[in-house]
Amino acid sequence: MQAKRTRKTLKTTLKTVAAALACATASFAAHAAAAPGEIKIGTLYASSGPFAVASLGQFEGLKFWANNVNKNGGIFVKAYNKKIPVKIVAYDDQSSTATATTLYNQLITQDKVDVLMADFGSVLTSVAVPLAAEHKMLLIDPTGSGANFFTQKTNYLADVSIPASTVWPVPLAQFLLKQGIKRVAIIYDANDFDASQAETMKTELTKGGAAPVFYKSVPTTESNYNVLLHTAKAANPQALLEFGYPPNDIAFLRSLSQSNLHFDMTFTIFPGQLLTLLKKNVGVKSLAYTYTYPTPPLVKYDKVTYGMNTADFVSAFNAAEKKDPNFLDASGYNAGIVVQKMIEDAPKFTQEDFHQALMDMSDKTTTLLGLFKINENGAQLGQSLPVAQLVPNAKGDDLNISVVYPDDHATGKPVFPAPKQ
Amino acid sequence: MELLAYAVIGGILYGIFFTLVGLGLNLLFGVMRIINLAHGQFIVLGGYLAWTISDRLGLNPLWSIPLSILCAIVIGWPLYRAVVPRLQRSDDPEMLSFILFFGIGQMLTAVTMLLFGADQRSLPEDALGSGSLGLFGQEFPDSWWWAAGVSLTALALLWLYFSRTRLGYATRAVMSERDEAIATGIDVRRVSTIAFVAGLALAGIAGAFVPYLLGSVSPDLGDGLTTTAFAIVIIGSLGNPLGTIVGGLVFGLGTMLMQTYYSSWSNVVPYALLLIIVLIRPSGLLGKAVRLA
Repeated sequence: MQAKRTRKTLKTTLKTVAAALACATASFAAHAAAAPGEIKIGTLYASSGPFAVASLGQFEGLKFWANNVNKNGGIFVKAYNKKIPVKIVAYDDQSSTATATTLYNQLITQDKVDVLMADFGSVLTSVAVPLAAEHKMLLIDPTGSGANFFTQKTNYLADVSIPASTVWPVPLAQFLLKQGIKRVAIIYDANDFDASQAETMKTELTKGGAAPVFYKSVPTTESNYNVLLHTAKAANPQALLEFGYPPNDIAFLRSLSQSNLHFDMTFTIFPGQLLTLLKKNVGVKSLAYTYTYPTPPLVKYDKVTYGMNTADFVSAFNAAEKKDPNFLDASGYNAGIVVQKMIEDAPKFTQEDFHQALMDMSDKTTTLLGLFKINENGAQLGQSLPVAQLVPNAKGDDLNISVVYPDDHATGKPVFPAPKQ
Repeated sequence: MELLAYAVIGGILYGIFFTLVGLGLNLLFGVMRIINLAHGQFIVLGGYLAWTISDRLGLNPLWSIPLSILCAIVIGWPLYRAVVPRLQRSDDPEMLSFILFFGIGQMLTAVTMLLFGADQRSLPEDALGSGSLGLFGQEFPDSWWWAAGVSLTALALLWLYFSRTRLGYATRAVMSERDEAIATGIDVRRVSTIAFVAGLALAGIAGAFVPYLLGSVSPDLGDGLTTTAFAIVIIGSLGNPLGTIVGGLVFGLGTMLMQTYYSSWSNVVPYALLLIIVLIRPSGLLGKAVRLA
């Protein structure tokens, strides 16, 4: 009787062990099968059109990151406990939002990418934001900073490499008020990126008792500012601020240089991001004493918690690509390392866990672009942009970046009013 | 009042330059009934030619003007021979030219991109003089005066060609009534070849001033320039090259006045004017009245 019972217990135990083993094997097999052979990162770039220069820079930075990651065997994916190489799936949108819409759709529905990343800037990102939300995919947004993107809580958007455009001009407005500049003229492009900056600037100046004396928008395609500059001059401003994209900045600064008009202070956005391009097209003399937002690698972050610091990135990029990186190269690389850390930290390989991993990184991670800090709307609130002035060197054949505000970042004092050239 | 004066004089100078931008397109349509949708890309090529001469050879960009004429002969003549006679033998040459030249334009954009990259390129500011010239107390950069001066010279030469040369008379005859011109023994093919080459040359010459008037030249500018040129031509009169002057001036004045008073609407001007003109006077401001009965 006892022997019979023992045999029965043994049988039951064996059955249980076998079942457990079968379950474990099945689970392991399922787990292993679910691990992708490569992590597909889907993105767009513009090889032509008004955003080509900036977009190609961002794309090069991303490719540089992917090459570096793959050299080391890929990203360590916590969810699968193994390294998996990355593959960039990219299409050319030619700076067209219509083309971009189709191609973002293709990345999501046909290519079934694991990570969706937007093209450069607010215009080309704008069409990806609703698409990503519709398909419940997290959109990694490197440089789309338009205020309209970040008006409500979302799990499907993260601005990773540039502050939301509403916060860009805050230090600049503080600088203007600190300098006692009361008469400010603002010319801005009629798009979300520039209009939101102009609106913030207007609000901040008005709060400080210095409402703009001239406030006009122009089409994003504007290429001739001559008459507009004279109209602005008629308002007798001390400072003239132009918020536009690189082709606008070039046309604006060239028109200003040719016009023989002088303003005590002139500000444009892109000399701080694409200094080489601006120097080539506008010239050192015409750029002298212009104010801008300096961005890495023009300003450097030595102490980082993840990825290369700014100086190391410049050296590595230079060695690999045989050219000096600009901000957009850095922003593409930064988007890559943010994705890398996100995947490394996410407990599961799902869009929801990716988003949560980003939220967990927020305010605790510093990269080559500065502090990574996003809010629940997906807006980047870190990586703040100081104010700098382009000051000619002793020989007058090149420009030095002199950070003039905020005081704790300052490397020089502003030359105000700017001398007549 | 001073702002108005500045906008009006600026608009006239800007408009004279845009007359040159539209002139070649209108000449081609007038003589051959061909719509050159690659016109803007040929202007861009002119801009890159000026940049190459200035940046690579260290010469004044104005040297690109004679070189544009030379290039127009070298490129235009074989291009004409290759495509235009075939187009004109078709049932609907206007529509086919639309498609064909659209394709050529896209190819030229791609080739320019491969050769020069997507970057904007500018010309030295002082190459056309670093100062400014005044008229009625309103000063404009030297480059604007150069652009207007060269445009007026091109217009004067074209007018002399039309009114003082036998080939010019023949060209006007072809523009007026192609079949009758053929019947009277005019060598339409020769006239058309010259008009085609002249159209491309005018586009190339206009391109030399694009970096000064529009800030820089880049491969993507072509389509926008074609659209603007097309609007100017329609406003003036499609098929009448001298009507382009009126179209250019209306465009220039409209743009600059809008920039002064309602800047955010300035790019709507050419298309709003186009719409109004097409509705009120479909043949353009200088077009002949059409009797439908």
